Amino acid sequence: MKKFFAVILFLAFGSTVFAQLNRSTPPQPGPAPKINFSNYEKFELENGLKVFVVENNKLPIVSFSLMLDRDPIVEGENAGYISMAGDLMRTGTKSKTKDQLDEEIDFIGATISTSSTGVYASSLKKHSDKLVEIISDIILNAEFRQNELDKIKKQTLSNLQYAKDEPGAIAGRMTSVLYFGKGHPYAEFETEESVENITLDLCKQYYQEYFKPNIAYLAIVGDINKSEAEKLVKKYFENWQKSEVKKFNYETPELPEGNVVAIVDRPNAVQSTIRVGHPALLKIGAPDVIPSNLANTVLGGGVFRLFENLREKHAYTYGAYSNLSSDELIGSFTAFADVKNAVTDSAVSEIIYEMKRIRDEKIPEKELQKAKNYTNGNFAISLEKPETIARFAINIERYNLPENYYSDYLKKVATASADEIQQMAQKYIRPENSYIIIVGNASEVADKMKKFSANNEVKFYDIYANEIDPAANAAPEGVNADDIINKYLDAIGGREKINSIKDIAVESNGSMQGMTFTMKMNRVEPDKFYQEIQIGGMTQKTIMNGDKAVSISPMGNQQITGEDLTKLKYDSDVNSTAHLEKYDIKTKVTGKEKINGKDAYKVELTMPSGEKRYDFYDVENGLKVREAKTITSPGGSFEQITDLLDYKEFGGVKFATKMVQTMGPQKFEFDITSVKINNGVNPSIFEIK
Amino acid sequence: MKKIILLFLFFSSAILAQQGKIAFEEYDLDNGLHVILHQNNSTPIVAITVTYHVGSKNEQPDRTGFAHFFEHLMFEGTENIKRGEYFQMIQNAGGQLNAYTSFDQTVYYEVLPSNQTELGLWMESERMLHSKIDSIGVETQRGVVKEERKQSLENRPYGSILEQTFSHAFKEHPYRWTPIGSAQYIDQATIEEFRDFYKTFYVPNNAVLSIAGDFKIDDMKKLVQKYFGEIPKGSKEIFRPNVVEPKQTAEIRDTVFDNIQLPAVVMSYHIPAQGTPDYYALNMLTTLLSTGQSSRFYKELVDNQQKALFVGSFPFSLEDPGLFLVYSITNMGVSPDDLEKSVTDEIKKVQENLISENEFQKLKNQIENSFYGDKTSVLGIAQSLANYYVFFDGKTNLINTELENYKKVTREDIKRVANEYLVKDNSTVLYYLPKSANQVKEGK
Repeated sequence: MKKFFAVILFLAFGSTVFAQLNRSTPPQPGPAPKINFSNYEKFELENGLKVFVVENNKLPIVSFSLMLDRDPIVEGENAGYISMAGDLMRTGTKSKTKDQLDEEIDFIGATISTSSTGVYASSLKKHSDKLVEIISDIILNAEFRQNELDKIKKQTLSNLQYAKDEPGAIAGRMTSVLYFGKGHPYAEFETEESVENITLDLCKQYYQEYFKPNIAYLAIVGDINKSEAEKLVKKYFENWQKSEVKKFNYETPELPEGNVVAIVDRPNAVQSTIRVGHPALLKIGAPDVIPSNLANTVLGGGVFRLFENLREKHAYTYGAYSNLSSDELIGSFTAFADVKNAVTDSAVSEIIYEMKRIRDEKIPEKELQKAKNYTNGNFAISLEKPETIARFAINIERYNLPENYYSDYLKKVATASADEIQQMAQKYIRPENSYIIIVGNASEVADKMKKFSANNEVKFYDIYANEIDPAANAAPEGVNADDIINKYLDAIGGREKINSIKDIAVESNGSMQGMTFTMKMNRVEPDKFYQEIQIGGMTQKTIMNGDKAVSISPMGNQQITGEDLTKLKYDSDVNSTAHLEKYDIKTKVTGKEKINGKDAYKVELTMPSGEKRYDFYDVENGLKVREAKTITSPGGSFEQITDLLDYKEFGGVKFATKMVQTMGPQKFEFDITSVKINNGVNPSIFEIK
Repeated sequence: MKKIILLFLFFSSAILAQQGKIAFEEYDLDNGLHVILHQNNSTPIVAITVTYHVGSKNEQPDRTGFAHFFEHLMFEGTENIKRGEYFQMIQNAGGQLNAYTSFDQTVYYEVLPSNQTELGLWMESERMLHSKIDSIGVETQRGVVKEERKQSLENRPYGSILEQTFSHAFKEHPYRWTPIGSAQYIDQATIEEFRDFYKTFYVPNNAVLSIAGDFKIDDMKKLVQKYFGEIPKGSKEIFRPNVVEPKQTAEIRDTVFDNIQLPAVVMSYHIPAQGTPDYYALNMLTTLLSTGQSSRFYKELVDNQQKALFVGSFPFSLEDPGLFLVYSITNMGVSPDDLEKSVTDEIKKVQENLISENEFQKLKNQIENSFYGDKTSVLGIAQSLANYYVFFDGKTNLINTELENYKKVTREDIKRVANEYLVKDNSTVLYYLPKSANQVKEGK
């Protein structure tokens, strides 16, 4: 029987418990509370399964948490298969379909979840036997089925669509690739391609090779004692066969020699997502962990230096923090904040200033004490979960930590000196060997970022962290936007024809997410517009008459004003490209890209609001083949892409009669069925009451 | 030897009988503040919660959003706590804090290491005694709340479900607006109105102080008296609306265009207030429909037919009669009316056929599991105690006995409440459609 040392004292700072009430200053921390570490017990089966039991009788609940200790694995072009293997574990066994499993789990009111490195299960004590029977069946007899994999793939692809443009997700991929380098297991992430590649066999193979008792830890926590636990575990896990599991070694990533600036361009971004950091060779449980965490806390924990500087003093951001992680292979340090475009370089400058200050100056005693209080509090609160004790026990075993590592944790926090912490900052916080990553509007921020780079250069990446050469997609010399636009207008019939359109009526059919709808549209130049959409038995109308516009739907009427009206004027003009001046839109050629296999010029449109949109024109025939814009909302920002196909002539002017619009996972198509030009329109439809 | 074992058995079974039971003490201070204390010394932390019995239903129709706005204003500080310091002081003590406002209540809480207990008591008593209500704070929070409205409601996919559902389903009762309210009213309100709201509702006789964690009851009583005893009792009448929502007689149906990717169907039905016998039956009905992967909705709509990406149900039980919500998001290529039909079919099955004994036993097991699941943290315990006291007629001990009320529910009750409440004439059906469906740019 092993035991954590029982009692630890918090540092005490004079008690004022029953002094005369003086409201003007906050009460000082009270007398030292004691931390009673729960005991844990340990046993091992012959097949090598290591079991830890933490008894806690507060509630009649028992949880079981199995964890595999294997080396990280490189998944390469199949990135994501390991995690899918974990999901598949919950979808059936040799003797049970998913339906049967679901029924059995819910019948006892239990929770069971599976992952690639383990299984978590919890239920009332009286159902423990059944619960362990189920999880042992899952762990020993999992059976993967193609239809379940297909479901998981479909879901993963939807989520990817949703998250791939999200700035935080892009920044996450950037830090992992830059810190650890392509080919390292920590630098991998799923893409649409890699998900498509995943096969059932790959998932099966993973399960068969790695779900082995000799690399597994089982933590049992709650209303159960050692002998009850032993009986259960023997009954259900004794027949689990052990076998050798592959080991892997990886090269340790190096820090960059000087600061590297890396930008992912999001042309419509109003905020820059900033990450400043580097890999850190800090192993779990190493003596450096506690003092280096204190250094990080003073720099970027809760309400400390980064927060005070960037938010309170400069109002650059809602929050600025930093993180220093330890890991069995390689950890990392990252300072992070989201800031407005205009202050991106100032914010980076302050982050680096604070990183240097923590390295170069000793932390004043009062500030250090604040960081220690913060650490003590977090540690105490984390102990409320019995699972924490189980995790501590497993970590001690897994990483060969001293028995008293956690029971002495706060003692070490209390005795860490300012000198020692400064040494740690010098070792693990490296303002001159960092990757400075910006996900944001490159045209606004890139030039100002050069000064932070050791070689005065900025590198560019796409959203999947592949380095790109902005010159390769640059606009060819001597091509200007006016020429491209004129060629397009000539190709569809010429300005004269276009401007002879006084009124137009268009009808079309569309489909979206399985719903079909019809749409009628009338426009009378220069500024009257009527649109009616019929969808699922409901009608939605948009009417514009000069400077008044309204949207009418079953939800009621809504006036369209301000910027929305400006946009509507442009969007409702079927030949807006011929009237860019009228809408005060600036144009610029920004590149050349392949669209559906053919070269196309990319023309940037800057709307009066500053919003940027992109039109793509076929290099050869001049036709517009794509429009792109970004729609931003806190739920994610999406690129809305509209492909224009099947140009046909109506009254001397060519129109794209098929449009395919994609936005996130949503795809929407419509076909024009009729176009009538200069046929006259009943003016009463434009009346706004 | 035998005797000792027997004695031991007896002793341990006596302990078992106590297991899971939450011991607590409750009393009133002279100023009317109700205090609930639960001592639990296993971890050196303390959870402090203050529940003010004021929510959006105590607002006037031309001042909606007031209660929630107040929650924000109450972090602006006091004579002794400068702006922004509430968060900083608690965070720097390694603690956690937050607050929330619902239709019926406003709750503030801190979790702290127990040697910082007084810090939390001092801060909450400052808030109750003399919060600073000045124009700077009001201006600051006006901006913050508008931003929150934008973030949580207008721009978050499906973020307006609550507002749309309640505003469609309620015609008279103040539940027809939600806690976030309307920004314009906060702009119109004068500083005197804010001060008046504070003096009316943020008084000890309208509050419950519930504390759980590592302390000794006697010491804590003295500390509570020290920090809260001197706060004067409120002298204004506390406004409690007395509106009965007229019975709904015909289905309500509408469409909402929102910033979403996939259409959603949101159905809601009027149900009785929390704590009534049918409230327990409805909680079991929702478990049947949507708890776990074997639940009726999940199994049929997500797993088998794959018409829904997600489907759930939730009885929004409140102090006055609330709503039973059924919400689902369509899978790619499925139309909302198709999904609605499948959801209704599942409800019909419960209305027409009594559930099996076996499925009933499953529900009981699930309910029992969740009954204990709420008590794993001192914060959860402190909040539950206050909630039972305020909203279940002072029956704080329901924290230990509520399972009995579930045991009274029969299979017939579940079928009956499905037939009584989940019916067409009592329903509000909203289709959420992507905004792009009405923002299509015409031909090129």
